[in-house]
Amino acid sequence: MSAPILLQVNGETHAFALPRETPLIYVLRNDLGLNGPKFGCGLGECGACTVLMDGRATRSCVTTLGTAEGRAVTTLEGLATQGTLHPVQAAFIAEQAAQCGYCLNGMIMTTVAFLARNPSPTEAEARAALRYNLCRCGTHVEILRAVLRAAAGSDESMEAQP
Amino acid sequence: MSEPRPDPAALLAATGNLAILRPAQVVHGLVPSAAPKDGALDLFLLVDDTGTVTAFNGHVDLGTGIRTALAQIVAEELDVALDRVTMVLGHTGVAPNQGGTIASDSIQVSARPLRHAAAQARAHLVALAAKALGIPADELEVEEGIVRPRDGRNTGLSYADLLKGRADRLMLHQETAVKPASEHRIVGRRVPRVDIPAKATGTFTYVHDVRVPGMLHGRVVRPPYAGIDAGPFVGKSLIRVDEHSVAHVPGVVAVVTMGDFIGVVAEREEQAAEAARVLKTEWRDTPALPDLSRTEEALRGAEKAKTRLLHEQGNLDTARADAAQVLEATYVWPYQMHASIGPSCAVADVREDSATIWAGTQNPYWLRTDISLLLGLPEEDIEIVRFEAAGCYGRNCADDVAADAALLSRAVGRPVRVQLTREQEHAWEPKGAGQLMEVKGGINADGTPAFYDFLTRYPSNAAVTLALLLTGRVPADNPVYEMGDRTAIPPYAYDVMRVAVDDVAPIVRASWLRGVSALPNSFAHESYVDELAAAAGVDPVDYRLRHLHDPRAVDLVKATAERAGWQKRTGPRQEVVEGDIVRGQGFAYALYVHSKFPGYGAAWSAWVADVEVNTATGDVAVKRVTVGQDSGLMINPAGIEHQIHGNVIQSTSRALKEQVTFDEQAVTSREWGAYPILTFPEVPVINVVLMPRPDDPPLGSGESASVPSAAAIANAIFDATGVRLREPPFTPDRVRAALAGEAPPRPVKEKTRKPWLAMAGAALAGALGMATLALPIRGAIAPIAPPDPSAFSADMIARGKVLAALGDCAVCHTANGGIANAGGQPLHTPFGTVYSTNLTPDAETGIGTWSYAAFERAMREGIGRDGRHLYPAFPYTAFSRISDADMQALYAFLMSQPAVTAAPPENRMTFPFNIRPLMAGWNMLFHRPGQLQAEPAQSPQWNRGRYLVEGLGHCGACHTPRNALAAEKGGAAYLAGGFADGWEAPALTELSKAPIPWTEDELFTYLRTGFSRFHGTAAGPMAPVVHALSEVPDADVRAMAVYLASLSGPAIADPVAAAATLEAKAEASLRPMDTVGGRLFAGACAACHAPEGPTLFGARPALALNTNVHAARPDNLIRVILEGIPKPAVPELGDMPAFRDSLNDAQVADLVRYMRAKFAPDAPAWEGLEGTVARLRAAPTH
Repeated sequence: MSAPILLQVNGETHAFALPRETPLIYVLRNDLGLNGPKFGCGLGECGACTVLMDGRATRSCVTTLGTAEGRAVTTLEGLATQGTLHPVQAAFIAEQAAQCGYCLNGMIMTTVAFLARNPSPTEAEARAALRYNLCRCGTHVEILRAVLRAAAGSDESMEAQP
Repeated sequence: MSEPRPDPAALLAATGNLAILRPAQVVHGLVPSAAPKDGALDLFLLVDDTGTVTAFNGHVDLGTGIRTALAQIVAEELDVALDRVTMVLGHTGVAPNQGGTIASDSIQVSARPLRHAAAQARAHLVALAAKALGIPADELEVEEGIVRPRDGRNTGLSYADLLKGRADRLMLHQETAVKPASEHRIVGRRVPRVDIPAKATGTFTYVHDVRVPGMLHGRVVRPPYAGIDAGPFVGKSLIRVDEHSVAHVPGVVAVVTMGDFIGVVAEREEQAAEAARVLKTEWRDTPALPDLSRTEEALRGAEKAKTRLLHEQGNLDTARADAAQVLEATYVWPYQMHASIGPSCAVADVREDSATIWAGTQNPYWLRTDISLLLGLPEEDIEIVRFEAAGCYGRNCADDVAADAALLSRAVGRPVRVQLTREQEHAWEPKGAGQLMEVKGGINADGTPAFYDFLTRYPSNAAVTLALLLTGRVPADNPVYEMGDRTAIPPYAYDVMRVAVDDVAPIVRASWLRGVSALPNSFAHESYVDELAAAAGVDPVDYRLRHLHDPRAVDLVKATAERAGWQKRTGPRQEVVEGDIVRGQGFAYALYVHSKFPGYGAAWSAWVADVEVNTATGDVAVKRVTVGQDSGLMINPAGIEHQIHGNVIQSTSRALKEQVTFDEQAVTSREWGAYPILTFPEVPVINVVLMPRPDDPPLGSGESASVPSAAAIANAIFDATGVRLREPPFTPDRVRAALAGEAPPRPVKEKTRKPWLAMAGAALAGALGMATLALPIRGAIAPIAPPDPSAFSADMIARGKVLAALGDCAVCHTANGGIANAGGQPLHTPFGTVYSTNLTPDAETGIGTWSYAAFERAMREGIGRDGRHLYPAFPYTAFSRISDADMQALYAFLMSQPAVTAAPPENRMTFPFNIRPLMAGWNMLFHRPGQLQAEPAQSPQWNRGRYLVEGLGHCGACHTPRNALAAEKGGAAYLAGGFADGWEAPALTELSKAPIPWTEDELFTYLRTGFSRFHGTAAGPMAPVVHALSEVPDADVRAMAVYLASLSGPAIADPVAAAATLEAKAEASLRPMDTVGGRLFAGACAACHAPEGPTLFGARPALALNTNVHAARPDNLIRVILEGIPKPAVPELGDMPAFRDSLNDAQVADLVRYMRAKFAPDAPAWEGLEGTVARLRAAPTH
């Protein structure tokens, strides 16, 4: 076995003595007990497994440990800081944007990455950004409200800066 | 947040509480479970002396929010704060058996005993307080669990105080009065769901997240007859499982086979997944399915069990004879899927005499019956622990996977978690059945309905738990359920009417899906009444109201139409928005009547759909849905609104997009490309009208708003176009065909061609043999003791390391997952399989005993130390160009690596190539050894580049075509494109098919990063080449780029503009929804490959510029789709998954055909794609 693969997950560095081709999702879920990312398709089609890798939305079911090596991975569990919900999480809770909630991880993580690039999107832009995240319960209306609420909230907080 | 599961016995053994119990009941349902033991009691409610309320319900939360709504009911009747109530749902032996969570019954039916239990507990506690306070009970009130006098006196007792030291056990009094709506404080309020904060923070435990000590991971391998569960072959088709085929997968604990059930168990999840993927199995052929792309014919052809007459009144013959106009219409519903977003998962711990199963089932007690049957254990020794799963909307694979886990756990004697794949969930979930509705009717001279003769045909849907069938425990002769009759009686007062149902045998595995049989039946009822209204020249809403006599229905229809701004019309308005876009509005109404006929109603629902239809493209956009619902008392109006949204979106998806596809043997919709569902940009605006009926009993809201959907949309399309669609999904091709007055298009199957035959080489033996005779015999070079690495200078070793990277030694000489340069990698040539040798200095198995002379001879002449000829898969013809200094450095590096003992497997060459001495003849014919001479007319950089490309880099080994004897061709053919390991290595000369010619800068960038914006990503064997080059300095990579650029054609002036033109052309060329391939692309590829897709980690290659899409042959494109890019050249490119196990040959061919037409519109279509896919699928990969 070659040298362990180092990975920073939610701010902590971990070393894995695992093959490089190990899918990231299994490492996060089974080795680190991070259940946020969900297995949905294994093909990068649905987005349920989304994590952030160096700040970019990444489908962890098609990403290998080797690809993730040395990068900073953030999962749903790592969004909150010191017990304070991430504004996107807070917005999803406020809008009750889940039915079964299985796709919720992907919706939140994709939205976090999206709003970082486009802090005040139009509804059409929000719809386009989530085009490749699938939801079967039909929670789209609440999810879009949550995205726009989170965007509005981040505007306010920015305005509140001295 | 984990699923609460207290032990009722422990709760009841404690004091300081009040319990409401009921004798356990026998549940007569679809699946009869074992009768409870005499005297067994179910616990419904427990209030304790900490003020906590624990409430039990047999129905489970399928993501609909009933956990919250049930808690509201309990909190309301008990007068406690909502957060004091914990709901315990569904676990066997803990929650009461109240049947499966089906038919929208949780609030309407299964909550009733709980509501009364809470009211009864409150009354009991108030009575206790009355006694303690000495105040009559009717002078007391309760607020947040504190009983006080109504008159405001400052005294009171909490429930907690009252229960200290008590152990009150009351039998449920079902007639206990409950609160009138006027006194509701919690029920009827919009309450946030209790589970969402945990779900939004990753702390909610789904069944997928259950881990128990000692747990192993399992995967199942399903039979090829995917999604078929009836017939004598089920459970009896497996010929053989080759357990050796997984011997190389680490961590495998067991391969378990029983009948047609196969599972693998491993220590780690990815090991189980890999073992399941590579396990070789052999199966018998199974009978061909009817052509299910023709749903109507398939349904007519299915064997009928019986016809049931559900309703008959008046004389049909007379009415028909008297009718002014007779209208006959046939409506067809396709097979659809639940399509849960998470494939099912379960954990089982099966012990000698008991079992615990953690499952996401919608019917824990039925599942327990199945597990009992499967394992032969009594039901009381089996515990089903129910955890939430992905939404199921009916029956998905949740029970199947629980049974799979039970079998695997029993086989290995440890807890096993089984996760189904996406492909398994899609293929094997019991589908929502297709359905055929035939209506005969007409109008009288006054426009009133003359008669209504309705026959609905429904193939059965028993969907016995799969493991029972696959193991042969239960014969696969599925019973015929009577389930086609839901909402079969139309809501309109047709005076003369006959309604009948044909119960037919199952065609494919099916079960209930949201609005089971009622959605299709209502599609027919509500389309037909619209057709009558049009025939009568009456506004469709008015026409309905004339014949609708249920006052709640009338109120709802009026309120919904008004809110939607219903435009009265007497025929299709065909209102033009602009250009080809027309607009329409359609109405439909239904009271969802479900359960065993005649059944009973859930909530009433009405729809107004506003659509826009593009008459040129056939696109239907549902722009807005106004949906009204009468749910009686609404426990949580927010929850009901949420359910309505979900129903509207899901059923719009079903109406517009969804149909399961099949081939002759199995379901072929195995991922989201083949079964597209509605996406965010397609979601309509939804306006909800909630009818206030607080004084009427609460009604089920889980399905009702789906039921009018398809008819409302079809009616709107009729209003927009004047064309009537009677078979969903309303896809663009169908709409276009209908507008053109044609029969709907059917998928055309490409004939499967015979596999491509590898070129035979036998005839060539003669020529080689003749050449061999003329050659001197080469001797062995004496072995040496492995040299001491310290004999080489550090600088020399370092230079050698870079040279080894340039020469890609490790690319071929490292086995998959093996140690660098230790050999063993198979190289598949048209002439057989060669295994690369061990290049480490191991004396026995490597090159440890090779002197420099032996090494040099091998490198320059292709002769091993022992005198044996090496196969020219080893590119010694190129390596002979290497300078002496570089050769020495290379030797120094290889000899200073750690020695690894690893003998490569025997080569498997075909005759005559299996006769090594013949290679001497090959050398004589084709090998021109000798070092390169610089060309003085060219720059030193160019010469350096040429040296690297032609020598150590051996680019020509792949990129130069070879002759019939596998020798690189010369002259103009040099670097003109070849084949390596089944991949096409594109031409590097001006023969390149790249739509934008390569330039020095793009070559440099590509070799450095594995990606060129104008050409694409390094894949296949090129990915490891780029990876190896990462150790080579920029100057050398630049030199190679300079040399290669000098070979390619002239650069174009503005490649950025040319790229934009190509991309714009692709954008304009084809619409994805028009073809099967386009839909596959949109669902499977576009997330990473569409220009407008999300910003994801990794490269986003522009396919319009991709060399492989423009190539003469489709091989590389097909291989990348089948195999993915498992090891990208550099991590920044991101990984691409393999679609080999997700798409069949026809689907890959459709996808490739679409990509060629879309992204290389000027290139000729590729021929024989399906055959090429089959050939490449069969080709070995590594």
